[in-house]
Amino acid sequence: MGKSRVRNNIRKLRFFRDEMTQQQLADKVGVTRQTIIAMEQEKYSPSLELAFRIALVFDVPLDQVFSYDAEDDSN
Amino acid sequence: MSYQEKNITVSLVNFTLILGFYFIRVFQMIQGGSFNPTNVFRLWGIVIILGIVVTILGTILTHIVSAIIQAIKTKQEPDIRDIQDERDTIIDLRGTKITYIAYSIGVFLSMLTFALNQPPLVMFTLLVFFGLLAQVIGDISRLYLYRRGF
Repeated sequence: MGKSRVRNNIRKLRFFRDEMTQQQLADKVGVTRQTIIAMEQEKYSPSLELAFRIALVFDVPLDQVFSYDAEDDSN
Repeated sequence: MSYQEKNITVSLVNFTLILGFYFIRVFQMIQGGSFNPTNVFRLWGIVIILGIVVTILGTILTHIVSAIIQAIKTKQEPDIRDIQDERDTIIDLRGTKITYIAYSIGVFLSMLTFALNQPPLVMFTLLVFFGLLAQVIGDISRLYLYRRGF
């Protein structure tokens, strides 16, 4: 529960896309705004399909949107 | 609050009220000495019908009230987004799993009344009680998952 180990740059990428709103991104990838909020707060790890859709919207490789925090695994 | 959360909140309130109604009615029956199969099974019917009707009405009313509130707030045509995405589906599945676990424990506890030499009517009364309680627990867990994240 709580924070996910999957980190993301969605907020930053939205900012660089002319401050795209959460609702606009949600509409483009076919989810609710609440899911975008949960992802930005790292409370939800999206499915691989949704992750690819988000990367496609920003036109960047997947690893520029999402990364995995492996530090917790070593603990 | 998303449409899904509103719907769960309405369901939670409805089932809590039905649970309260059931509890009070059973208590009144025991106090009044009318705790017999006819009355208990009639109450079963009332509770099941109430559950179905109130759930349907609750969903419709949530839609209408949400649209009205949104129209008043934004002074525009209401745009109700009730799509269920992957996160909603996962939360719903987890909530259903918790509901089933809670109900399974409830059924087990109900069966225990046989071991305690209680009449079958007690078990049947407890079955509905734990069914309603499991629904309430499931709704609370869904709301918790929406708020806390996973």
